[in-house]
Formats: sequence, structure tokens, C-alpha cells
Amino acid sequence: MAILETRALNKRFGGLHVTNNVDLALEPGEVHCLIGPNGAGKSTLFRLVLGEHLPSSGQILFDGEDITAFKPFQRIRRGMSVKFQVPGIFKALSVRQNLEIAMQHHYEPAHLVAEIGRLLDFLKLAPDADRLAGNLSHGQKQWLEIGMAVSLKPKLLLLDEPTAGMSPEETHATGEMVQRLNADGMTVLAVEHDMAFVRQVAQKVTVLHLGQVFAQGTVDEIVADERVAAIYLGQVAETAHA
Amino acid sequence: MNATFRFFSRLEGPQTLGRGPLFWLGFLVVLAGACAYPLFSDGYTVGNTVYFFTWVFMALGLSLIWGYGGALSFGQTAFFGIAGYSYGVLTINFGAAYGFTLVALVLAVLFAALFAVLLGYFLYFGRISGVFLGIVTLSVTLVLERFMAQTAGPEWHIGKARLNGFNGMSAMPPLTLPWPGGDLVLFPDVELYYVVLALMVVVYLGLRILVNSPFGNVLVAIRENPERAEMLGYDIRKYQLGAFVIGAMLAGLSGVLYTSWGQYITPSSMGMTAAALPIVWVAVGGRSDLTTTLVGTLVVLSVFQALTIHGSQYALVVMGVLLVLTVLLAPQGLAFAFARLIARPFRSRKTGDV
Amino acid sequence: MRGRAPRPFRACPGPTPSLAGAPLPPRYRRTRPSPNRKAPSPMDVGTLAFSALYQFGDAFAFLVLSACGLAVIFGMMGVINLAHGEFIMCGAYVTVSAAHAGLPLPLAILLGALVAALVGALVEIVVIRHLYERPLDTIVATWGLSLIATQGTLILLGSTMAGVGTPFGSFQVGGYSYSLYRVVLFVAALVVLAALYALFNWTRFGVMARATIQVPHMAAALGVDTRRVYTLTFALGAGLAGLAGGLYAPTMTLVPTMGTTFIMEAFVTVVVGGADVFLGTAPAAAVLAVVKATMTSLYGQLFGQIGLLLAVIIVIRVLPRGLSGFLLRERA
Repeated sequence: MAILETRALNKRFGGLHVTNNVDLALEPGEVHCLIGPNGAGKSTLFRLVLGEHLPSSGQILFDGEDITAFKPFQRIRRGMSVKFQVPGIFKALSVRQNLEIAMQHHYEPAHLVAEIGRLLDFLKLAPDADRLAGNLSHGQKQWLEIGMAVSLKPKLLLLDEPTAGMSPEETHATGEMVQRLNADGMTVLAVEHDMAFVRQVAQKVTVLHLGQVFAQGTVDEIVADERVAAIYLGQVAETAHA
Repeated sequence: MNATFRFFSRLEGPQTLGRGPLFWLGFLVVLAGACAYPLFSDGYTVGNTVYFFTWVFMALGLSLIWGYGGALSFGQTAFFGIAGYSYGVLTINFGAAYGFTLVALVLAVLFAALFAVLLGYFLYFGRISGVFLGIVTLSVTLVLERFMAQTAGPEWHIGKARLNGFNGMSAMPPLTLPWPGGDLVLFPDVELYYVVLALMVVVYLGLRILVNSPFGNVLVAIRENPERAEMLGYDIRKYQLGAFVIGAMLAGLSGVLYTSWGQYITPSSMGMTAAALPIVWVAVGGRSDLTTTLVGTLVVLSVFQALTIHGSQYALVVMGVLLVLTVLLAPQGLAFAFARLIARPFRSRKTGDV
Repeated sequence: MRGRAPRPFRACPGPTPSLAGAPLPPRYRRTRPSPNRKAPSPMDVGTLAFSALYQFGDAFAFLVLSACGLAVIFGMMGVINLAHGEFIMCGAYVTVSAAHAGLPLPLAILLGALVAALVGALVEIVVIRHLYERPLDTIVATWGLSLIATQGTLILLGSTMAGVGTPFGSFQVGGYSYSLYRVVLFVAALVVLAALYALFNWTRFGVMARATIQVPHMAAALGVDTRRVYTLTFALGAGLAGLAGGLYAPTMTLVPTMGTTFIMEAFVTVVVGGADVFLGTAPAAAVLAVVKATMTSLYGQLFGQIGLLLAVIIVIRVLPRGLSGFLLRERA
């Protein structure tokens, strides 16, 4: 059974049909990447899954349960977790406190301090534990947010352009982090532009175009698909003209 | 045992200034000074000091809602007024025997809480943003004031209690403790001083524990980044509502103590000017910390009263100027900036770049 | 000739040990459909319809004129100006002083608006400009200004100021008398809305202002002096407040706290309307005017206000971004 499933999902903004009859299914334990040219509707689909937008029609199932009308925090409590594109951290609080806020309801109070320490080590943030989160480097902020998302022990991790603004080294390190989490059994859905990252982590890729599912398959199949190259090239041509 | 220890260890934490033996030694010295103060003063002055203390609860409540929760409520005086009037109506009707005034205190505060739950439900569950929250709560306060101001006629009464419009209610019994060998009536004097001081210490320490608890963690998380807080699985509306209701109860406590202190309450205690004053105390003191709020409130009130000798209009102009200057020059509050300045040499290295 | 007797004014709530010793706002003299009942004959449908329309127009004008200055500043700059009531007070005081000095009333009203606008520009430059990053602090600072203005006026000009009479007298419909000036106010509200529409759509300032609001850095890159646009916008809002004060000055008792009479209605209209003057403030005022006129004629002025407040609280539960947010949503 799929862990996340969308059935005939539609979203309209006024006259604009941003998500058009999208059927998507994520198998437990896979890393699934959502790609597509600008304006393909990736962000909207992501927000629909998260509950920040409600669909105009269609259904969303998570772990067999219909969550279409759930509020975001209810979805999180069912076992989703998210990392935003712009690092969503608590800037004026210390790194340790950021993690404490994320973890305080998921661990016994007696074990909380030790668990936070373990996660700090995993994120390579132990030396910076008492700095304000707002003073971290860009890459560190991204990792802190991934850490907060992961600390909820989610069944499904949602990543919105996790490597945006990262150096190639940081991108690679992030990819390794995702692979390690996946090796422990976590399902991951990532919206991503960076094809190097997609190649590194994705087991399955869905290409969105004009709000519809355009193609689906393994990384190699997608890369080999000439139609996919065409829509990206079309985009490039358009932007070149613009 | 462990849980109890953890509970009290939250007296200090990342959400409150002041930690370590030195701070608590200072706290005890100040407390001892406050306890000894009536020995060196006369009843009138002590009674006047209690007047200052009655406002501290409302200020601490506002600090919780605004400084910690990031939601600016201008409606604190509405809860103040509701609880004050409730106390008046209850005690005028049922008297002060058998410790009923204490029951009235509790009921009045609960009544304010109930009102806060109703109002807060519509505000927070309607996802009102910061700016709108302020003006809706202010509108509620102003309408309540106008409502009470037009209750001058004899048809406006609840039981034996006339509401009296502009002129307000008076002659309700003060708080009265049942005491072996005769009830202890708490007129504005030494006895009331100790009762209110004890309440203040309990509320201050209780709030310190609250803001350093998981609840307080989530509250500051919402202030910093509400979307992220929700995406960690928190129903942020419930936390905001919780803080709002606690703040309202503290404002209500202030209202009851004030009404009992002067045996008097008027609609103008909810008006525009009255509503501005808690904002002044808390903003000038330093809203994002309980200690600076408490100290700031007492200092600003003292300054205010000293100025009132020259006329309350002049004092209010000074308050307005103080508020504008604070916002422009020391947005975190004067007492807060001062506390940071003092703390700097003592701070350990690893706390780092605060 | 006025259709009704002025109400006695009670300024002070008596001796108060409280900190809040300021005088209470006056209740502005109302035009309920006529206190002067000529004949006890039953109202015919036409009279009833006119009476309802008159009351609606009165409430609509009050809401629009109270709110448009606040709405312009909020919609364009995201700033809630809590000193809005004091700009209204400023306009009223200047208008009445000028009228006493012999200036014809219409010119006196325009002078009131102009002075309020100048004060607004000054306030923007000295205070507001430094707080654009911190909207909550702007509220707090403008509240400080409001305290200073109210109490400063009390110190300088005393607790009340002699007013000017309401001009134009009254007219009769079906045995009931109505104030002609209220009709003038309704027309003034419509004129203000039309003028704002023209200003924001057809003038250079309007286009620059809208560009600045939508994409500040782009406007700046295109050579728009965004700081000046903000100053002018704030001055415009303050001027509109002053205009409201001037227009209502002949119908009210002038006291330093008279601004509070307006702000509740202004807040409520802006909250319901949202951030757009034309898609928000105007329709919100129309809807709220129905609520207010109905409640006022059934239960009196206070319940008109309570009705407004309840309407608002329900609206925000249903439409968090106000009417304009709702109307604009489909376009997003």
C-alpha cells in the first residue's frame, strides 16, 4: 500500500488550473523527486500535500487515511514532516532550543537532553549548540531545519528544494544525509531543481508540466526521455527570448 | 522526585533573564527588603505601594501574551474591568462574611477567563494577524467602556448592585480573610500589602516556570515563526489562546485587587487612556522578559505618580513621549537594555553572540 | 435651526483614584429619524423607505469618512495608525477655530484637512519612517502619539471648545424632520471615494504609490523616491482623517478625546474591509452601515456599536483577510 497517494487532485486559483488531475503514489521507503520547469505546479502540489492549500477537488490519502481536509499540524501529527525552501528556523533562539521545541513532545523528558546531543552530533552542529540559530551559516541553517524535521521521527519527509543556495559540497553532504535517513526506512518526497542531487538520491522521479503529471520513472528513464528534455529546453528557449 | 526537581529547575531557563546563585541571592535580598519595608514606613505609604503592586499582575499577563507570544493585545483593561465589576456585583450582593470575598475573587477572575476564551476563540481560530488583533481587542475594550458608561439609570442593576454609569460602582467590601478571633479585613494597609506581595511572588515564580516549560517553548516558537511551529505539529491556535486566557486572568486579578483596594471601579478604567498604560509599562520595561516587565512596571508607575502631582495630563504626555522614545530607541525596553548591560561582564563565553 | 436639542455634556467621570483620569468621549449628537414627531399618523411605505435610506446613508457616510484615512495608510503601507482619532480631532479643532475666525465653513473644513495632512507628514518623517520593519511597534508608537496629542490638547486648550452650529437646518418628509447636513455628509463620502479612485488610478502620484506598494525595490530601481511616496501617503491618510473631523465638527461637541468617537467605527470598517480601499472599505462600510443603522434604530446608538463589533468578530472568523482578501482571492 502506498504511504502517500493523491487521487485526481485539482487546484484552481480563479481561472488558473494549477494542479490538474494529479495522481501520485509513493511507496514506503522510497526517495521520490518531483521535478519540472518553473510554473509546472510543483510548489502548489507540495502545499496541497502539506495542507497549506486545500484542493478544489480530489483526495489525499496518507498511510491509508483520508487527510484531504486535515489542518497542517494534524498531518504532521500523523507522521509527516517538512523542510521548507527558505530555512524555517527560530532565529532568535539558540540551536539547542530549536531542537528542543521540535523534540519535546516526542521523547521522555529524562532522555530529551541526551537525544538532543545525539542529533546535534548527527547534524555536525554540536560546537554551535548555544549560538543563535539566526547566526549560523546558510548551509548550517538548512541542516538545522532538516534536523528539526527529522527529529519528529516522521514516516514521510517532505523536502522543498533542500539544496537551494548550497555549494556543491554542501549539496552532496545533504544528499548523503537523505540517503542515510532513507536507509533507516524513511520515505522522502523532494521538490528539487538540482539534477545532480536528484541523481544522487532519487529512486523514482515524477515530472510535472502545466499542472499535470508529464512523465514518471527512474532517474535513468527520465533523463533518457526526449519529451522531458523538450519541455525543459522549451522553457530555456522561452526565457532566452524573454 | 525527579519530576519535582525538573519542575523547579524551570525557574531558570533560556526564556528568562537571571540565573545562578548570584541572581537568586539578589532576589532573596530584594524580597527580604520588601518584607521589611512596612516596618520602616507608615500605613498610608504602604497602602499606596500596594496600589502599585495591583497593576503588576496585568503587566505580567501582557508580557506573556505580547512579549513571549508575540500577539499584541490592547484589551487587557477589558478583562480588568470585567473582573473588577464582577467582584463588585458579587460582594455587594452577598457580603463579605465566611470568606466570601475570596470566592468572589476567584469567580471574578474565572469570569474574565471565560470572556477571554470566547473572544480569543474568534480571534485566534479566525487566524487574525498581529495588527488586527490589537485593534479588535481595543475596539472590544472601548465598547465595553461605553456600555458601562451608559448604565447610570436605576434600571441598570444586578441584584442589589447599581452599576451607576460614569460614576462607577463603589462601597463594595474589601477582601476579607476569615481569621480565628474575627475576620481580617484587608484595607489598604500592612495586611493587604503582605497578601498582595505574596501573590506577586507566587505569580512571578509561577510564570517563570511556565515560560521555561514546553508550553513556553512553543509560545516563543510561535512568536519567532508561526508557520514552522505549526509544521512541527503544534496547534498554534491553542497555545496562543492559552496564553491569552492566562494573561486575561492576570488582568482580571489586577481588576479585583484594584476594586477591593479602593472599593471603587469606573468605566474609565477600561477607556482609551487606561488601556494605553499597561502597554507603556510593559514596553518601557522590556516586554520579552518577566523580570524586566515587573521592575519596569513598578518604576514607570512611581515616575507616573510623582509626575501626577503636577497634573495627570502632564504625566500622561510624559508617558506618551516615553513610549514613542522607547519604541524608536530601545525597542526591547529600557529595563531590558539595562539588564543586558549589567549582565554582560558576568556572562559566560559559551552563551555567545546574543 | 436644529431638529433636536443638544444633549448636556458630561465630561468627567467624577473623582477618580484611577490612573485613567481623562475625560470620556462625548456621544456625538445623533440623528435618529426625527425626534420631532409632528403627527402620530402611521408611516406609509415611502416614508419608511426614506427613513431607512436616510439612516443607512448617515451610517455609511460616518463609516466611510472615519475609515478612509486609516484604510489608505493601512492598505498602502501596512501601518495601523492608532493616532487616527487624533488627526480627526486636529481637523475638527482647526475647522472650528477657522470658522470662529470668520472663514466660511467649507474653506475651514479644507483648512482642517490640510493642517492634519501637514502634521501627518511631520509624524511620518519623525517617527513612522523608522519603524516600517516593525508593524506592531508602529501601533505602539502611534498610540504614544495619541496620548501626547489628547493630553496635550487638554492642557493647551482645555476640556472643551465652543463649537459651531450645524448648518442647513432640516427638511420634512412625511411628518418627520431630517437634518439636511447629514445628506451633505453622505454626498461628501461619495465624493471622497470618487476622488480617491481618481487619485490612485489617473494621477502620477497614484501610479507611483501603487507601484511602490506592490514592488518597493522595483519602484525604487525605476527612480521613484519611495520615501517621499510613503510620506505623501501618510499625509494623505492624515488629511482624510482631518477632513472627517472637519466635516463632523459642526455636529459634535469638541473635546480632546473626540477621536475615540470615530476610531472604533474606523477600525471595524478596516478590519472587515481588509487592505483595499475600493474593494474593501467601501463595500465593508455599506454592509456595516446596514447592521449599524438597523441596530441603532431598533435599540439605540450603543447597540449599533455592539452590533458592529459582533459583526466584525464573526466576519474575521469566516474571512480572515477581510472582504477585499475574499474578493481578491479569486484573482490571485
